[in-house]
Amino acid sequence: VPLEPFATSRSLTMGVELELQLVSLSDFDLVSASPDMLELLGRAPFPGNVTPEITQSMIEINSSVHTSHAELLAELNEIRDCLLRAGDRLNVGVCGGGTHPFQQWSQRKIFSKPRFREVSALYGYLAKQFTVFGQHVHIGCSSGDEALFLLHSLNRYIPHFIALSASSPFLQGSDTLFNSARLNSVFAFPLSGRAPFLLEWEAFERDYFARMESTGIVRSMKDFYWDLRPKPEYGTIELRVCDTPLTVERVAALACYLQALCRHLLERREASPREDDYLVYNYNRFQACRFGLDGTIVHPQSHETLSLREDILTTVRHLEPHAQALGSEAALEHIYRETHSGSDAQFLRNAFERAGSAEGIVDAALARFRAKGEA
Amino acid sequence: MADLSSLLYQLAWPLALTLAWMAGEVLFRWTGLPRIAVYGLGGFLFGNLAAGYLPPSEAAAFMLLANLGFGLMLFELGYRINLRWLRTNPWILVTSLTESLCTFVAVYAVAVACGMASLPAGLLAALAMSTSPAGLLRVLNEQGCAGQVTERAMHLSSLNCVLAAFTFKLIVGIGVFQTSGDLAHAAWSSLVVLGASAAFGAAFGVAVPLWLRRIDNAARDSTLAFAIAVFLLVMIAHVLLFSPVLAALTFGIVARHRRLVLSPAQRNFGVLGDLLSVLLFFFVATTLSWNQVAAGLWLGLLLVLVRALVKVAVCTGFARVSGITARKGVLTGLALTPMAVFAILLQEQTRRLGVDLFQSLEPLAAIALLLEVVGPLVTQRALLLAHEARNAKEK
Repeated sequence: VPLEPFATSRSLTMGVELELQLVSLSDFDLVSASPDMLELLGRAPFPGNVTPEITQSMIEINSSVHTSHAELLAELNEIRDCLLRAGDRLNVGVCGGGTHPFQQWSQRKIFSKPRFREVSALYGYLAKQFTVFGQHVHIGCSSGDEALFLLHSLNRYIPHFIALSASSPFLQGSDTLFNSARLNSVFAFPLSGRAPFLLEWEAFERDYFARMESTGIVRSMKDFYWDLRPKPEYGTIELRVCDTPLTVERVAALACYLQALCRHLLERREASPREDDYLVYNYNRFQACRFGLDGTIVHPQSHETLSLREDILTTVRHLEPHAQALGSEAALEHIYRETHSGSDAQFLRNAFERAGSAEGIVDAALARFRAKGEA
Repeated sequence: MADLSSLLYQLAWPLALTLAWMAGEVLFRWTGLPRIAVYGLGGFLFGNLAAGYLPPSEAAAFMLLANLGFGLMLFELGYRINLRWLRTNPWILVTSLTESLCTFVAVYAVAVACGMASLPAGLLAALAMSTSPAGLLRVLNEQGCAGQVTERAMHLSSLNCVLAAFTFKLIVGIGVFQTSGDLAHAAWSSLVVLGASAAFGAAFGVAVPLWLRRIDNAARDSTLAFAIAVFLLVMIAHVLLFSPVLAALTFGIVARHRRLVLSPAQRNFGVLGDLLSVLLFFFVATTLSWNQVAAGLWLGLLLVLVRALVKVAVCTGFARVSGITARKGVLTGLALTPMAVFAILLQEQTRRLGVDLFQSLEPLAAIALLLEVVGPLVTQRALLLAHEARNAKEK
C-alpha cells in the first residue's frame, strides 16, 4: 500500500488525544473497566470522541479540531466531566499520569480486538508493560513539506514537552528516579525514536516510506512509534512524547505551547534544521526524562549547555507575541507558573511523601483530575 | 509403637485435607471446576465416611481455624469495598436492599407454604439473604476478575451479609430465646451485638495502619500484620460472643477508608489464605451429614431455585438504571449464588449459644451442600460469560 497523499489542513489548527487511566475506586489499582465505561458512555452523546485502547484499563479520548485555547479547554472540561460522571456510577476513577504507580504488568488484560491480539502476540511483555498513558497533540499543516519542516525544526524543543508533561515517576510500586519513566517503555519498541531527516514530502514518500514498506516491516504510518510523526490522513504532525498530565488545564496549555511554537518556527527566523541536530537528540531526551525541569540540555547548533528550565522560560518570552495573536496567553502563563511550582511528577512524589503509600499517589492524582479550574 | 488403625486415626484429618487439595488442583486443571467446590465435595465425603469416628475435640479446633480463614476473607472483602460508591450511585444500595428483602420474603413464603413452621422458615430465609463472601472472593481471585459484575457482586455480598446477620440474630432473639415478645427489644439487643462487633472492627481498622506507619512499614508488604490482627480480632469476637463476621468486615472497610499507610496486602492473603481456604471449605462440608441432606433435598432444591430467581430478577430489574446492561445484571444476580460457608458458620455460632438449629432447619443441610459445590461453579460461569475473568482468557 503506498503512502496516502498528505491531506491539507489549515495551518496551526490543533487537536488532542489523551490516554487516561481507569482505576478502581475500591483499591486504586488499574481495573479492566473500559467495556463497561464504553457501554455507559454510549447511552448519551459524547463531546469529542472516545475509543478503546490496547488494555482494558485505559480509555482514549480525543478533542475536536480547535484554533483557540479557550475552546479547547472548554471541550476538555466537558469531556472530563462526562467521564467522571460515568465513572462515579461504576465505581471507576479516571485520572491522568503517564504510568500507574503500582500496577503489575502481568495483571493486565488485552482488549479483545484482532489488531490488539496481534500486537500482543508480537511484542510479548512489551505490549503489557506498554500500559502507559500519553498525550498526543496534532498540529495542522498546509502541506507535507510544511509538516516535515516543522517536524525537524521542533527537534530541539522535544525535551521541553517531556519535562513539562512528565507525570510518570513511579513504576511497579517504586520510584524510578525518572520524571517520565513512560518514555523508556516507548523506547523499547523497534520502530521508536525519531523520523529520518528528509524535508520534502515527495522524498519522504519515495526514498523512505516506499523502501521501508518494501522490506515488509511496516504497512502504514501507524507502525512507526516516533516521538514526532507526520499523519498524512489528517494533514498534521503528531507530537507523542508527552505523558498524560494530571489536569486538563495542563493538557490544553501544552497543546497551545506547541501551537505557538509552530507559529514561531513558521516565520523561519531560526536557523534551518540540519541532520547533525540529532547528534544531541537522545542525550537531551534522556536528560528531560530523567531530571525533568532540572535537566541540562545541549543546544544542537551552538553546543552550549543550557538549563532546561531556563531554556523553557526564554522560549516562553519569545512566544509571547504569538500567544497574543493566537489568544493563548493563559496557556503560556500556565507553562510559566509550572516552571516555578514544579511538574506533575513532583506533585506525585510529594503525594507519596504525604501518604506514605502507592495508593496515596493514585488518590491524589484522582483528586487533581477532578478538581475544577485549578492550575 | 502405635498400631496401624490408631496411626490412621491420628492422621485422618491431614490425609483427607491433602487428598482434597490434590483433587482440587487436578480437577481445576482438567475441568476448570473451582477448587473450593472440590474441597467442599471432599469434605462432605470425608465427613460422612470418617468424621463420625473421630473425637469431637478435633472438630472444634478445625472450626476455629475455619473461622479464622473466614475472617481473613471478610477482611479482604471489606478492604475492597468503597462506601462512597453507595452515595454516588444510590441504585447499588437500592438493589441490595430490594434483593435482600425480596429473597427473605420469597424464601419464607415458599418454606411456609411447603409446611415448615414459621420460626425455622424465618431463620432459613434470613440465611438465604446472604451471599457467602468466602465462595465469591475465592472464585473472583482464582479467575483474576475485574469489571462491573465483579465489583457489584462484592458490594452486594458485603451488604447482604450484614443484613442477613442482623435479621438472623433478630429472629433468634425473638423466636428461640423468647427473651421478650417485644420486637423492638429484640432488634435493639441484636443491634447492640452487631454494633459492638463493628466497633471492635473499626478500632482495629484505625489502630493497625497507625502502628504500621509507626514502624515504618510503608514500603513493605503489610499482609502479615493484617493477618495477625484479623486472627486476634476473630478470637476476641469469638470469646465475647460477638459477630466475627461483622468485626472482620468492618476492620477491612475502616482500614481501607483510613488509607494512612497500606502498601497493598496480597490478594487472598497469599499462601496463608490459600491454606486456610482448603481448611475452611473442607471443614464446613464435613459438618453436613448425608441423612440431613437427603431429608431436606427437595425443599432445599426448591428454595435454592427461588433464591436464585429472586436475586437474578432484582439485579436485572435495576441493571440499566444503575449503569450496566441487563445482561450484566443477570450475571451479577447469578454471581451472588454462593452461600454455604456463611450460613454454616453463622448457625455454628448460634449453636455455641445453646441452640442447635440443624434439628429445626431441615433443608439447610441440602441447601448448604448444593450451594457449596454448585455456588462457586455458577459464580465462575457468570464471570466467564461477562468476560471479566482474566486467567481463563489468556491460557
